[in-house]
Amino acid sequence: MKKNTLLALASAFVLTLAGCNELGEDDKKVDGEGAESKAAFASTYKPFPSETTLITNAHIILGNGEAIENGSVLMTDGKITEVSAGKLEHDASVTIDAKGRYVTPGIIDVHSHLGDYPSPGVNAHNDGNEITSPVTAEVYAEHGVWPQDPGFDEALAGGITTLHILPGSANLFGGRGVTLRNIPSRTVQGMKFPEAPYTLKMACGENPKRVYGQKGGPGSRMGNVAGYRKNWIKAENYKKKLDAGEDVKRDLQLETLAGVLSGDILVQMHCYRADEMVQLLDVAKEFDYKITTFHHAIEAYKIGDVLAENGTCAAMWADWYGFKMEAYDTIQENIPFVHAQGACAMIHSDSAMGIQRLNQEVAKTWANGNRAGLDISEAEAWQWLTANPAKALGIEAETGTLEAGKRADLVIWSENPFSSYALADQVYIDGALMFDRHSGLKPKSDFRLGHPGVDSEG
Amino acid sequence: MKKISKLLLLMSAASVITASPALSQTYFIDDATVVTDDGRQEGTDIIIDKGQITNLGRGLSAPEGATVMNAEGQWVTSGLFAPLTSLGLVEIGAEDSTNDTSAKDAVTSVSDLAVDGFNPQSPIIDNTRVSGVTHAAIIGRTSHNIFAGTGFIANMSGDFDSVLQDESFIYVQMGSRGGKLAGGSRSAAFSQLRAALTDASTYPARFKGPEDGDALPRRDAAALARAARGLMPIIIGADRASDLLSIIKLKEEFGLDIIISGAAEGWMVAEELAAADMKVIVDPVANLPGSFDRVGARRDNAKLLADAGVDMALMSFSESTSHNVRVLNQHAGNAVAAGLSWDEAFAAVSSTPSKWFDVNNAVIAEGQSDSTLIVWDGDPLQVTSAPTFIMIDGKPQSTMSRQRELRDRYNPTREETRAHKYR
Repeated sequence: MKKNTLLALASAFVLTLAGCNELGEDDKKVDGEGAESKAAFASTYKPFPSETTLITNAHIILGNGEAIENGSVLMTDGKITEVSAGKLEHDASVTIDAKGRYVTPGIIDVHSHLGDYPSPGVNAHNDGNEITSPVTAEVYAEHGVWPQDPGFDEALAGGITTLHILPGSANLFGGRGVTLRNIPSRTVQGMKFPEAPYTLKMACGENPKRVYGQKGGPGSRMGNVAGYRKNWIKAENYKKKLDAGEDVKRDLQLETLAGVLSGDILVQMHCYRADEMVQLLDVAKEFDYKITTFHHAIEAYKIGDVLAENGTCAAMWADWYGFKMEAYDTIQENIPFVHAQGACAMIHSDSAMGIQRLNQEVAKTWANGNRAGLDISEAEAWQWLTANPAKALGIEAETGTLEAGKRADLVIWSENPFSSYALADQVYIDGALMFDRHSGLKPKSDFRLGHPGVDSEG
Repeated sequence: MKKISKLLLLMSAASVITASPALSQTYFIDDATVVTDDGRQEGTDIIIDKGQITNLGRGLSAPEGATVMNAEGQWVTSGLFAPLTSLGLVEIGAEDSTNDTSAKDAVTSVSDLAVDGFNPQSPIIDNTRVSGVTHAAIIGRTSHNIFAGTGFIANMSGDFDSVLQDESFIYVQMGSRGGKLAGGSRSAAFSQLRAALTDASTYPARFKGPEDGDALPRRDAAALARAARGLMPIIIGADRASDLLSIIKLKEEFGLDIIISGAAEGWMVAEELAAADMKVIVDPVANLPGSFDRVGARRDNAKLLADAGVDMALMSFSESTSHNVRVLNQHAGNAVAAGLSWDEAFAAVSSTPSKWFDVNNAVIAEGQSDSTLIVWDGDPLQVTSAPTFIMIDGKPQSTMSRQRELRDRYNPTREETRAHKYR
């Protein structure tokens, strides 16, 4: 009952703002090289203060497919400096005996709308989808992000250290996505993952044709594909001029698309059906760009081999289905089946609720996969929560595994996180303790002030 | 065809834990951790004969010819009872032709019987059953006024005779959404509800002519008549603490049997809810201020309500109440992580709603005929657990579903040998 609204939100598709604006172009002329100002909306993220912290006696899931049953992790100056089996001796400021507990990399959600569809879900907060034209590659999800969304705090309590905020899926080209560090900040710039590549949200299938079918199109899957191709042709021409150093009238739409063609912007594509994903891989070949990840890939298990050949990842739910026709054919083993076929598979939430327990969502689909005959270890499955989404976002050199030199994004779980009963005890971002279930340390959005009791974390 | 394939599949599924491959009318479950109304009993054996639990205890022997399942300490429980769903009313949410959950252009409301839209053959019923949910209260959603209609109770066998009660409860929406449906405010919603209850509690006396109701036409007043006299539960959707207090007053004013659904801010008025003998259905993971109706939502709401002695069931409203009811065990497990005891959490998704809706055979007890029980491969509230054997109303059930057929077709561990494999 309430769920219907949630699912509508889930596919990020809110049928409110109608009207079709002609998209304006900035009339500023710029030189080819500097077509995109690097300084615009630059990250001002600064790690919170951290102490040298040693965790011992932990069951460590490294995130790279391996685990250490009884080991130590050392975090120094915000980085992982050492991970080892057995007891590590170090004169750290803080030493935590994690006996009986699990340590994992911080979870990365590759598909979230926190901030751009924040809580409370009032009309004024629908900032996640520019439903005014099928092509809105010029919009940036970060400009819709309200950093005071209380959902960020609850996601942190679920072990989320990095998350990717995408525009919704009404449009063929929905706009740019942004990768955030899950820290309290007055501004979205303060949360932006430094140097993380921008992404471009694109959408297949039912949503664009449903939204624009009576508004000038696209009105079918044919129109969808024609729409992608027409715009990639424009982008090719724009890029050609930029590359030749010609003066071009700056165009925010084409700037984004050209960024994809040059490989600087990663395509995150909402696409459910197997046949449609393969069509889109052909469009990508035609215009020589890469689709980094198919999101909501309900039927990815049918084409795991094709995804593997193309080096394209699939981001999936553990069990959502049936809210529209293209979501009818999921199976509860989607992620493990894609993984078993050699492709890059990952979990995603698309939900302010689901993001709080992505570990359980992975546990659920992992168990179903093994029940179907696979033999995947917990450590291997943890890649679906951290290493693979890091790869999909182009930040795998920085986070996603517990390896020396990486950012110290880490969760200490009360027990095996493949359990309904496990809770994040401590969550570290860049080595700084951001959440502590026992002391009550937890960011609290301004919105929470003056409202009744939300302090208890059980 | 369907019956035959179900039977064959059951055999293959049951053989996983079975010593004797023969399917029989008698089952012997050896060495189980059995959950009854009295709690957990380890090392317990169960004899089921023709759907009746004839014996329940330690050290029993398998009757001659029985199908033996060695549970090896695993759990045997009643099925899960989902206390508020729209199962079988919708196949594909966005496709109106498959969706009977609401009727915005209807002239009727309370008298709309959800059961008339129920399709027990929907593959979603199978998807739900194989995850351990065996019973559900079912109704659509409100659309043009505060009444969603009359709901029913069904089991998840998928059989045409799976409806247990055609007319079991009324659903009413209050809170901000109820206000909107009633014309714009909570005041209008409460006024409409009071008027409707008065119409219905005086039905048929005040209905001299077809237009005589203050809020309800004759047909809807008739449909609400039993509930208005406290003889049928009314499920009222509301979250804000102040709304819950208003509903307590309403219960006292009219002598109603009310179940509050939502109650995200229930913890703030837990003592009052308990004192009023109010039943509540809460979402154990609803901790976000998703609207101004529930700015006080918190993750230990269920625990705080239980501590105050509130009669409580759990429902996973934050997931699809039509397609993903199967997360109920996982979410009940999350309630345990937030402080509710395991026994309280399990009762809240099984025996509590069973009692509310008079489905007496949904709990495990010796002598119980038409039994419902599940053998699990782990703790039933663990996200990694699944049923290995399911019996509903005395009949063993298929553990197959459309999703599992798709799974088997594309399983990378199996060599696909069909002539017309999709390549």
